[in-house]
Amino acid sequence: MAETVLATRGLTSGYGKAVICQEVTLDLCAGQITCIIGPNGAGKSTLLKTIAGVVRPMSGSVCIAGREIAGLPAATIARSGMAYVPQEANVFRQLTTHENLTMGAWTDPPRTDAACARVYGMFPDLEPLRRVRAGNLSGGQRQMVAFGMAMMLEPSVLLLDEPSAGLSPLMVRQMFDIVRRVNAEGVAILMVEQNAIEGLRIAHRGVVMAAGRVALDGTAEALLASSEISDLYLGTRA
Amino acid sequence: MSLQMIVNALVNAALIAPPAMAFSLLFGILRFPNFAIGGYITVGAFAAYTLNVPLGLPLPLAAAGAMALTALVVWGTHVAVFRPMQGQSAITLLVVSIAVTLILENVIRLFYSADVRGFDIPLQRPWKIWGARITPEQLEIIVWSLLIGVMLHLLLAHSRIGRAMRAVADNPMLAAIRGVNAARVTAFTTALCGALFGLTGVFAGLDLVIEPLVGWNLTIPIFAAAILGGIGSPYGAILGAVLVGLAEEATILVLPSTYKIAVGFVIIAVLLLVRPQGLFGTAEIKK
Repeated sequence: MAETVLATRGLTSGYGKAVICQEVTLDLCAGQITCIIGPNGAGKSTLLKTIAGVVRPMSGSVCIAGREIAGLPAATIARSGMAYVPQEANVFRQLTTHENLTMGAWTDPPRTDAACARVYGMFPDLEPLRRVRAGNLSGGQRQMVAFGMAMMLEPSVLLLDEPSAGLSPLMVRQMFDIVRRVNAEGVAILMVEQNAIEGLRIAHRGVVMAAGRVALDGTAEALLASSEISDLYLGTRA
Repeated sequence: MSLQMIVNALVNAALIAPPAMAFSLLFGILRFPNFAIGGYITVGAFAAYTLNVPLGLPLPLAAAGAMALTALVVWGTHVAVFRPMQGQSAITLLVVSIAVTLILENVIRLFYSADVRGFDIPLQRPWKIWGARITPEQLEIIVWSLLIGVMLHLLLAHSRIGRAMRAVADNPMLAAIRGVNAARVTAFTTALCGALFGLTGVFAGLDLVIEPLVGWNLTIPIFAAAILGGIGSPYGAILGAVLVGLAEEATILVLPSTYKIAVGFVIIAVLLLVRPQGLFGTAEIKK
């Protein structure tokens, strides 16, 4: 098995006294995509927020490349080679497309120009929109800006929270293509996806969450084949 | 409207534009309307007075000292008062900020009494331009105000800290995710705005008089200018200041000048009814 780049052990977190994620243990291997699926309220987004340091863990551990990061502030975790793309409010609306991208290289300013050129190469549609405020972009364009911002410093791990949410069917396909392309370059991706079938199709492993816990963890193929999963979570059968 | 009224309106605008921008910047970062600005401005005016009159420093030096001291006071109140209350509602913080103003103002009254004072500067004859009178001090206020507008623009649009200020104001969570140290940005913003409030105290001392209420009397016009321009939008605040200045002067055409102070209130009331996001603000859609 490939080397683990991101690992959580018994990770528990929530808001105030409400516990959302309970004892979550999962591994993300180098170069792989792990897709987290599950019903609304299962704690998928909270799990990503906890790993990124936006929500403070109550207990448990998060290791990236063997280094413990649980409990560190988000601004410190941003320097660990992991980049997180939230589901909502994932761009700076008052800043231009270009300024948004530069914010992606905040922790390493000398790399800004080269990184911008690379990201514009990745998303040629963004180049003509450099001076447009992100708040005035379409949903798909905003998603590209959010994604591009996270890719600026060539992270080794990417956390994606529902990259396809709110996109047109055509854009959803493009988004999944982009995710696959980025993964092909060697970036390990932990992705939450409501579009469970599409998500599992591009993933290596799948994790099913329910009521804040990991209900199932297996290869994506096995999850797609499992009738239990399709009944419960994929909604493929009536 | 005579030329004199336009000159007066411009002086008013120049006086309230920098603090209105500072008010907007503070609001963007801290997310509550900080009515302590009146106290801050009074602190600036009296700091400059103390350095200039009893200590005998030339006014430009005294102004610089007042800016530094007010920056320290604004940062200090943030650390001592507002930061421990982080997470409280904007209304709670607003009320606390009014208390801060009352405290600052009365501490100053305790040491300096309520007497009216002025700077130690040679009395200069006003200049006449096509019949309109303008004092050299007023012209200085206008020039400095313009310079400050340009400098703030350069800072916000073209510097790293300016970009961080806009990013934190826009989306504090995403700024943290991208590695921006919000505490450092907040410290810089409070100090910068403090310097601007301190300078406003100096200008108010030049154009009006130095007394403990000098800041409080400016608070409403400043607030009106900031919300007129769309709160949290520092460029809008400049235009808001010009409009408030003009509105104040226009009122004198039809009403006794004692009502001038009510203009700010009327602007605020009408705006909150008709266009709460301000003239240049964008409405925020909450899900």
